[in-house]
Formats: sequence, structure tokens, C-alpha cells
Amino acid sequence: MVSVAGRLRAIPSWQVTLGVALLALGFLIAAQLASEGPRVRYTTQERSPLLQTANELQAEQDSLKQRILDLRDQIQSVETQGEGAAETVRQLNAQLQQARVSAGLIALTGTGIVIQLEDSRRPVPPDGSEADYLVGSHDIRTVVEELWGAGAEAVAVNGERITTTTAIIDVGTSLLVNSAYLTPPYQVTALGAPDLYDKLSASPGFVDLVRARGEGYGIQISLAEPDSVDVPAFVGTVTLRYSRPLPSPSAGPSVLPSGSTSP
Amino acid sequence: MHRRRSQLTIAAVAFVLGLLVVIQLRSQAGDPGLAQLSAQDLTVLVANLNDRNDQLRQEGSSLERELSTLTANRSRGDVSVDEITADLERVRAYAGLDAVAGPGVTISFSGPIDGHGVEELINELRNAGAEAISVGGTRVVSGVVVSGPAGSVAVSGTTLPAGFELQAIGAPDKLTGSLTRSGGVIAQLAATQSKLVVTVTPVDRLELPATQRTLVPAHGRPRL
Repeated sequence: MVSVAGRLRAIPSWQVTLGVALLALGFLIAAQLASEGPRVRYTTQERSPLLQTANELQAEQDSLKQRILDLRDQIQSVETQGEGAAETVRQLNAQLQQARVSAGLIALTGTGIVIQLEDSRRPVPPDGSEADYLVGSHDIRTVVEELWGAGAEAVAVNGERITTTTAIIDVGTSLLVNSAYLTPPYQVTALGAPDLYDKLSASPGFVDLVRARGEGYGIQISLAEPDSVDVPAFVGTVTLRYSRPLPSPSAGPSVLPSGSTSP
Repeated sequence: MHRRRSQLTIAAVAFVLGLLVVIQLRSQAGDPGLAQLSAQDLTVLVANLNDRNDQLRQEGSSLERELSTLTANRSRGDVSVDEITADLERVRAYAGLDAVAGPGVTISFSGPIDGHGVEELINELRNAGAEAISVGGTRVVSGVVVSGPAGSVAVSGTTLPAGFELQAIGAPDKLTGSLTRSGGVIAQLAATQSKLVVTVTPVDRLELPATQRTLVPAHGRPRL
């Protein structure tokens, strides 16, 4: 034992340092190769055409959305240009603007809160399920429902406005909201009265979520109350293919005089 | 001399080491984008993107037609009352401000269903393209939440009577198929609540009421 200790002391310290460093280097190279291996194999199979298609479709979706936003702006400006023309048109345009706000077609700004959800950083125990440690569509839907319950007036998730036709579903470990592909962290922005924050934090459903998902699995849930929040407009179709409007007794538009357009 | 060379070696090793640590950490953090999806998930994603893009293209074309009509009217000096009225009707129907009629499905329950279960069904109906939904005769628009335990399910705080139904307008076969597929939402609900039976009935014509809610926010204004 003594002789071993003696020999160890004889080794110059720089050699020990170098040895340790080289050991660490070896580990890192191995880890790097190991982590790259499966991913490379994955992408070279049938996934890569799909991946390319998905990327192209996403880019196309962005440009289609932009086109719709531009067209809406132009239509709105042409419609309101006739304002001086007649009282009827003025009233119609005012109603149309209200309807667009109600439908979520207009971007809004006002008081509100932002809730951020991020995947857990805890290691998944051997007997645990990885999905429990990731933010899923369930979590986002619960937050959105709790926000509505607390009196939110408009809600968006990562730039996708939640409207009456919005579905929130899982795709792999990410989400589809209005069929737009979203990845964590998820920011749920809500417009509402100044007491929205207090109402949400006091809601049993939200407290349950924080306890079960936050404390239980380490899902990171944080709330912020900025001076003002912005919610974007819904960009998608509002044309109903199966539904026909029914004349309602109190409806404004149906009692308007007809025949005031071109012959 | 010997000492100097050893220092250089250590410096070089430390440099490479640092570089590798950074690369490793970066690749571990990964981009949370498409690269991590399996082929199956990518197929789902591509199908969804295709559907949405088709819808967006149609919407774009109809907006273009609308714009050209409006512009033509205007250049003739006409007022576009009909166009604006049509636009208004379209947007009001979408938002739930007007009653609507059309084909769809009626969903009834036998056994205990809670508010959460109803919300799951509503989400799946929306995913399958439902255009208008009502629960127990109340139109489900943005801001409406179904909650509460089985036996006292409430819509935005108003408790529903037993035997309430869910109605949705859309393509009846698509709505039915999406709800009842194996491993779908009804199968999942049945798995957690064995006494629950959910029945989906395609209907030729449903009438859903307008919402009673005010959907114009009191705390937000249009962003310019």
C-alpha cells in the first residue's frame, strides 16, 4: 500500500490532470456519438420526405394566413370607405365590426395575464411514463377552460387565437391548435378584467392543476401580469359549409332594406 | 521547456473539452420542432396541415372574390349593402350570435358523465370540423365552459337537467366516425367510467340557438 502511494505521488500533477481531462473527453465523445446515432438513422428512413412535406406545408400555412390577413384589411377598408354614403351602410359596418370582434377576427390589446407551461425537468422514473412529464393538450385545455371560467374575454396559445371552433390536440410530444403546430414552452395569453389573475389563482380547478401537474410531475407553470397583453386575430375560415343562419326575431341585419345595391 | 509543453497540451485538451460540452448540451436541448416526431405523428401532422391549408386557400379565394365585388361596386359608385350583409351574416353565424340549422349529430348519455367528459367530446367535435355546438340547449361559443361532477354538470355555472344532450352541426359521418373510432374519445371515456354509455345519432337537420352572451370584450380594444 505504501509503495503504491509513493508511486502515485511520484507522477507529475500535470499528467494526472491530463489523464482526467482525457477520460472526460472520451466520455463526451462517446455520449455525443451515442446521442446522434439513433437520430441520424431515424431521419434517413421514410421520415425525411414526410418531414420535408410538413415543413413545406407549415411555410405555406404561414403565407396563406398572411394573405388572408391582408385581404381582410383591404376588404375592411373598402367597406368603410362608403361610410359617407348612407346611414344604412354606416350601421352595417358598425355591426360587422362588432361581429368580427365577437368572432375573434380582430387582434385585441388590453389588461390581462400570461400563463406559461413548460415540460418537467425532472428525470422520468423507471416505472413512470414520459408523457406525464410533458405538457399535453389536456393541460392546455384545462388552463383555457379555467381562464374562461375566471372571466377571460379572449385567449390565445402561442399566437393561435382560441375561437368557438378551436380544437387543441396532441401530436407526438407537441400540440396542434387550430391545426397549427406548436411546441413548448406554451404561453397562454388571456385578456380580461384586472382581477383575472386573482380569480384564476383562487379557482379550485387551477389550484388542482398546479398541485397535480406542477408539484406532482414538475411541469413548470408560471403566471405573469404584464401592463397589457396582446391577443392575435384568428386566421382561418369562418365560412360555414353545413350551417345556415336562421332568421331570428331580434336580428338586425335581416330587417335592413334590401335592393339598395346595384340593380 | 517540459513544463511549458505540458501546459500547452492541457490547454488544447481543455479547449476541445469545452467545445464538446457545448455541442453536447446543444444537441441535448435539441430543437423541439418537427425533428423529434415519429413517422406516425408526422403523418397526422401532414394530414392536419393539408386540411387547414385547403381551408385557408378557400377562405383566401372567397375573400378575393368579395374584395373584387366590393371594389367593382365602388368604382361604379354603388353601395355594397348586399355584400356587407352577407359578410355580417357569415361572421355572426360563425361566432354563434345567430341561430343556425344544418345536419349533424346528437349525443346522448346513459350513466354518469362529468363536465370534463363533455369538454373532451366538444374538443373532439371541433377537431372533426363541427361548425356549431350546443349542450343542453345552450350554444357553446368562446368563453362557455362545461364543468362539474357527474349528476350536476353545469354550463357556465347553470346546472343542466338530467338527460341533457350535446348537439353539433357538421358532416354527420365525419363527426360520428371521429367520436366513435377505436381508441377515440368515447372509448376513452368508457374506459374510465364503465357505467357510461355514449350514443351518437346522425341527424339530417338540427337547429341550434344563438348565444345569449355578449362576446365583445369589455377590457380589450382592437389593436391597430
